This record gives sequence, C-alpha cells and structure tokens, in this order.
Amino acid sequence: MGFASSEPGVRAPLAVKILVAGGFGVGKTTLVGAVSEVAPLRTEEYLTHASIGVDDLEGVSGKSTTTVALDFGRITINSELVLYLFGTPGQERFWFMWNDLVNGAMGAVVLVDTRRLEVSFASIDFFESRGIPFVVGVNCFHGVRDRTQEEIRRALDLDPQVPLVLCDARDRAAGRDVLLALIDHLMAAHARTAAHPVS
Amino acid sequence: MKHWTEGFDDDDADEPLVRPYTITGGRTTPERDDLTLITLVTVISEAPADNGPGMRRLQPEHRTILALCKQPLAVAEIASALNLPVSVTKILIGDLIEAGHVRSRPPLAFAQAGGLPGMSILEAVRDGLRKL
Repeated sequence: MGFASSEPGVRAPLAVKILVAGGFGVGKTTLVGAVSEVAPLRTEEYLTHASIGVDDLEGVSGKSTTTVALDFGRITINSELVLYLFGTPGQERFWFMWNDLVNGAMGAVVLVDTRRLEVSFASIDFFESRGIPFVVGVNCFHGVRDRTQEEIRRALDLDPQVPLVLCDARDRAAGRDVLLALIDHLMAAHARTAAHPVS
Repeated sequence: MKHWTEGFDDDDADEPLVRPYTITGGRTTPERDDLTLITLVTVISEAPADNGPGMRRLQPEHRTILALCKQPLAVAEIASALNLPVSVTKILIGDLIEAGHVRSRPPLAFAQAGGLPGMSILEAVRDGLRKL
C-alpha cells in the first residue's frame, strides 16, 4: 500500500478519524478509552468568530469566544495508517462551529442509552444532514435490554440502511465491533457507489 | 457587607499563569489554514542547538513540540501534551513549519468532497481493528 509519503526522514503515516457522538453521559469517552491504545487524551479549543467563519453566532449569548473540550484516542492500524477516535462535545451546536472536528471524518458512531434515547437525537440529525455515514451503538452497560432493536430503531426514526449494534462501551471487543460495523457500512456504501456511479 | 472579592470566579485556579496568546506573541489566528486536528507533524532534523541561528525567537513551547515530534504526532496530540488550545498550538506549529524545523502531513481528505475513503484504506482499517 502506498499511503506513506515519499519524503526523506521519518515517514508519517496517513491519519484518518472516526467521530464518537451521542448525548451527554452515553459513554463516548468510555468507548474511546476501551479501544484506544493510549488512555484518552483531552484537548480543548477556543471557538471564536474567526474559526466560526460564516456560521451564525446567534444563541451563543454574545460571547465572542467559547471553550469546548473533547477526548480522543488513537489506534495504530499499521506503519502507514493511524486511526484517531474523537468523542464529540456533548452540545451539538458546537460542532457546527468547529469544522475541523467534523471535516475529514470517515464516519461516526452514535452511542445511545435506551433509558435516554432523546439525548442522542441531535447527533443523528447532524450526521444525516451532513451526509456523514454513521452506525448506532446501543450502549447496554446496565445489562438491561428493555427494548427490542426494532423499538429502538422506530424511536430513533432510523433509516433502514443505518446499522444498529448492541454494545458495552466499556468492553474493548464490543467497542471494536461497533467500529467494524461502521467500516462494513462504509464498504457497503462503496460497493453501491461502484455499482451505480454518479454520472 | 460583601467582601469586594466575592463573586470573583475561582474557576481559573488550574489555568496556566501565562495567557495562551502571549505564547504566540499576540497572534490569534494561524497564518496557515491547512493544519487540522489530525495533521501529523514530524521533526525534519534534530532540534538545533539552543543558540543556533534562527532559534532565538522560539518559545519553550516550540522546543517542546520539536521534542515531541521526533515520532509523527497529530496536532490534537501536541495540543493535549502542551495543555494548550488547538488554535494556539496550530500557530506554534505553523512557526516551526515556516522555519523548516517540522513537516506536516495532511490527513486523507474525502468527506469534504462528500466521498468515501478508498476501499484499500477501508480494508486496512478493518484488518487493523480485527487485531485489537
């Protein structure tokens, strides 16, 4: 595979990223930490008029600068490819202000908690509106499966093509399987595009 | 009667003593807009000696970046290690690129065009994840 740059010196791998979204307290950082090769790192960003660009600042209560924090992790795929996982800030309105966070993402995992499905609605809306492929991970960390997958799908008004996977965000294998579901989903989309190229 | 300090926010206790944009000499926007959260930064050559030419204007944070990036590191990772906001970190990295001390590698850009990553990338990620 020829992903690495041909410049001399230490060869930097190619970086790709996946977003881990969902409302507050659904287990985003837990999932990132379960699969990451390093303990989740935290970084923050000032979102200012300059970084917002043409986006609307209404509703940010007249502040010119807002600080948002996010947690992220990394998985070295091989010497030429590294995958970063970014847990998105809980308040989705910040994502619109932070193009750098969303741009260039391969896709997203939206985590939901069956007791509070509504906190993840905005994440689903966001990725649907941006046309970013995503899968839904149902975090069953309470060991309670009080709803069937069909009920959850209906409650989330999920497109039938969007995969829904049960998981435990604390478990490495389960977290990995959610990511694999996303990759399979992307491959299926790829195959469809190849079969019916947009002319 | 209220003491005059009442109402002063104590939330700043863990904030750095130096305001972040002091480190950048007051600059608040990066001169280059091509650095992203996952742009990988690598030192081109060994960090020059302390008194070497062109090194005088470097802040301690610049030197930390040079030390960190002996192995390729993402902008977000550098910001996290420096405990600085991403935008401040980008300005500092921009300085080092300008001075020829580090090189950056942009991430794969497909989502902006509404496209999908290539099949070979997807297969590589899938195979890598399966080994977790």
